[in-house]
Order: sequence, then C-alpha cells, then structure tokens
Amino acid sequence: MVTPVTSQGTRLSAEEIGYLTAGPGRAAETALARLIDAGLVRVSREGLVSAVHLNNHGAMTELERRTLSYARTGVRFDQVVQSTAYSTEMKRLHQHLLDQKLMQQPRRRHEGWWFPLVIAIVLVLLGFSTPVFFLGVPIALLFFVWQRGRKAVTQAGREALRHVVATDRVHAVALYGFCGKVNGRAVGDLFELSQSIVKMLPLKQNRKRKSSSDGGGGCGSSCSSCGSGCGSSSCSSSSSGSSCSSGGSSCGGGGCGGGGGGD
Amino acid sequence: MAGITDLGVGIGWRSEIDLTVERLPGVDFVEVVAENLHSNVHRGHLPESVTLLLERGIPVLPHAVSLSLGGADPVDLSRVEHLGKIAEAVGAPMVSDHVCFVRAGGLDSGHLMPVPRTKDALDVLVANVKLAQENLPVPLALENVAALLEWPDGELSEGQFLAELVERTDCWLLVDVANLYANARNIGTDPGRFLDEIPLERLAYVHVAGGVDHGDVYHDTHAHAVLPEVLGVLDELCSRVTPPGVLLERDDNYPSDTEIASELAAIRAVVDKHRG
Repeated sequence: MVTPVTSQGTRLSAEEIGYLTAGPGRAAETALARLIDAGLVRVSREGLVSAVHLNNHGAMTELERRTLSYARTGVRFDQVVQSTAYSTEMKRLHQHLLDQKLMQQPRRRHEGWWFPLVIAIVLVLLGFSTPVFFLGVPIALLFFVWQRGRKAVTQAGREALRHVVATDRVHAVALYGFCGKVNGRAVGDLFELSQSIVKMLPLKQNRKRKSSSDGGGGCGSSCSSCGSGCGSSSCSSSSSGSSCSSGGSSCGGGGCGGGGGGD
Repeated sequence: MAGITDLGVGIGWRSEIDLTVERLPGVDFVEVVAENLHSNVHRGHLPESVTLLLERGIPVLPHAVSLSLGGADPVDLSRVEHLGKIAEAVGAPMVSDHVCFVRAGGLDSGHLMPVPRTKDALDVLVANVKLAQENLPVPLALENVAALLEWPDGELSEGQFLAELVERTDCWLLVDVANLYANARNIGTDPGRFLDEIPLERLAYVHVAGGVDHGDVYHDTHAHAVLPEVLGVLDELCSRVTPPGVLLERDDNYPSDTEIASELAAIRAVVDKHRG
C-alpha cells in the first residue's frame, strides 16, 4: 500500500489509520486484527477471543498490549473491541493524533446552523438601503461558522488518509472494519471470521447522531466498530460521532467507514 | 468394549480452541466436558464445532467432573441423567468421571478431592458407581485424580483401590498419566507399582496433560506444557499395554496451534514406538 504520511512526514500506523477513519472502535478492531494476523490471539467459532501467550508476548503497540491483557481468558469478540476502544491507551492514541494536528476537538453542528447565514444575507440586502446593517454581517457569519460545527479529523488528517489503500488484511480492517467489505469481499472473511462473529460488534444506536451528520454513511452504516468507536470517550456525545464519519474517500465499501463529512 | 478398541490420539475439545481442534491434523477423537454442554442436548443444540467433528466421523466422548461419586452425599441423579443425554446426543461409546468427591455438606469444593483409600470409602464409591451405571446408557470409565494430600489411615494403595473398584463395579479405567506423575512428585506414589496393580485390560484410554513446578510441589495445572517426565510415564504405560486411546487434555492458557500440534505429535510418537 502507499504508506500514508502526514504533512510533517510522520508515517501513520494501521491503528492511527483506523482511528482517523472511523474512531476508537475501528482502532481497537485494527489492533485486534493485527494480533489475529500474527497468531497472537485465537478466535473461536463462537467468537471467544483468547490470547495465545499469557505474557503479552508479541504485542507491538499499547493497544495490542491492552487487548492481549484483556483476552487472557476467552472473552467475547465485541467485548474485546469495546474494552480497548474505551481504554486509557486509546485516549493516549487520540491525544497523539491531536498533538500531530491530525485531529482536533470536534464541535457539534447545531440544528439551526444555517440560520445565521440567512440573517447575514438579510443584513447584506438591508445594508444596501441602510449601510449600518453591514456591521452585523461579520457577526452573523461568525455565528454561522461556529454553529456549522467542526470535523474531528483535520484537513491534514484527511490528506494523510487520502491515498491509503488496503493491500493487506490488517489495513482492510483499519479502513473498512471487520464488517466492511473490500473489493467486494467481506473483511471478516479475510480472517476466517464468520458473519455471526463480526456482527457481534454493536450497531450504531444513536440515529440522531447519524442524522446530524450530513455526510451520509458515518458510522451508522451497517454495523459495528463504529458503534463502539463513536460511543467512546474521545468521541463523546458532543462530538456527534464526528470522528467516526471523517474518513472521507478512503472508506468506500459498505462497512462502517465513514462517508464524507459529518461534523 | 466394542467400538472403541482403537481411539487413536485425541484432544480435549474446549470452546476456546474449537477451530484449532477442527484444523489440527491427526485428531482421532475428542472429549467434551459434559457440564459445559447444555442440558437440552440433541444434535441441533450441540456446539457447531462438535457437530462438525461428529459429521467427520470423529468420536466424541463426554467427560464429567461433577458426579462426586466418591462422596458420602447421595448421587445427584440429575447430573447422571445429563451425562447420559449428552452421551446419546453425540453417540458416545462411553462416558467418564473421576474417582473423587467434589461436594460435601452442601458445599462444593471447586476441585477434584481425593477419596480416603479405606474399605469403607470404597464401599461408598462402589455403591455410587453402581447407581450411576444403572442410570447411564453407556459404560462408565473412572479417572485417577491428582492429590496434594493423602487422607490418613489409608488401607489400600491407589492401584489396589482402583483394582478393587473395577472388580466390584466392572467399570473401565481412564488413567491420567499427568495426575499419576503429580502424585509421584507430591505424595510419593510409585507409578510403576500403580501400573502393576491396576487391571490394564480394563483401560479405556489415557489422559496426558501439563503442569508446572512450584518449588518442591508439582502443580498439575493442565494449563502448561506437557513435561518429558509425564511422557515418560506414558511410555512406561505403553510398554505394558497398548492403550485404546491417548488424549491431550488442556484446560486453559491454550498455546499456539503449532505448539498443540507438537504435543500431539510427541504423544503419538510414544504410542507408535510401542506399536512397532
């Protein structure tokens, strides 16, 4: 794959790609995917995840260590993902992405976000007859910009993701999630995981969050990771799932990867 | 015992490693812990993996841990019935439990407790085993347990105790060589004498398992690698009799598929050595 590089020249890890694409749930899925890929955890037919070694052997990241620790005995697939998504280690990954200016604190789009724009237009029209009204235009525009909200992933973050392509199964999870599809094939199939297992991952439950995201798709699509992702602390209710819907063009197929834009 | 004269080499099926068990080469039979399967068992309610193994023609043997046949409390026939139902659901030629008790006075030990090796305790065990046999659809095999203590005033060696149990109940024996090794390490049981004393012609199959040293004590965890010494006891057993089956029993801390396959291969090598 084309290794995604930030504007500062930093290479993005698969977990970072997952987080930027669809939030902490997706990053947690990515960590688990790498562990399965390396044979460091096994997943049973009924979706129990268990570490192959008791000493976190083979973990390469904090998230992987966290995942292995939690799965020392058989734990349900979805619980492993959620536990990692809500972990302190995940908050540190989020902070790292903030520090790298790949993410920012999102701001929720207000219901009447368009109203200040209407006011501004009216003020402009009135200003032609009574110029003092022009003074109110900048204020209305400021309100408009503020209420329009702000995406969690920055322009730099979106740029870094722009050319990411899934050419291995771990990156396929980062981009599309276990219940997504890549090249028409279910990502779960790449790991020999049945649909009954990947569908353990929670559906997005907050329809309001979905509807407030005008980019479509968002994490509310078919399943999962996004559920845990959007629900997690770093993507709290005030964020309206913005971090989950910011993946932009890289999130094509059918999974939870965000579409363009929510805020 | 018709139908299980040559079980081969098997592994304990556990839900955490179901796919591993399915994928492992050379698994001739499996054992399921009866208490871990739903009581409303029939083919449709068995775990998918167990059903798959059955469809491949792999024998599935139910192994119980809760009958408490060595206990002074009356046998809980609902547990016996449960075991029997599972045996019928998987078409098992036999079932097994342990020579132990796991509850007394309304308390569960959470552990397989050794039975005092006295004539009185044997009488109780024999009565319980006979009652269980009457309520089971298939023959019953009983397994020696690992113990960290011996009750005082024992009148029989472990081998003598099991031999008399077999003689009076016509039960089969499931010899766990890891438990035998643990008893040799911890309470001084002589494995050679044990094997001399038990009726090897009533051997149903053999368990092999791992453990770990804790200072002077050997902890029979069934959750660590199989020690060469345990394979040595298996070797000793195989030099006296060809066991109908040998099963790797792993209960926790499951290693990689490769490591499990290696342990099965090591077991098979010992068995094959004596088959010439």
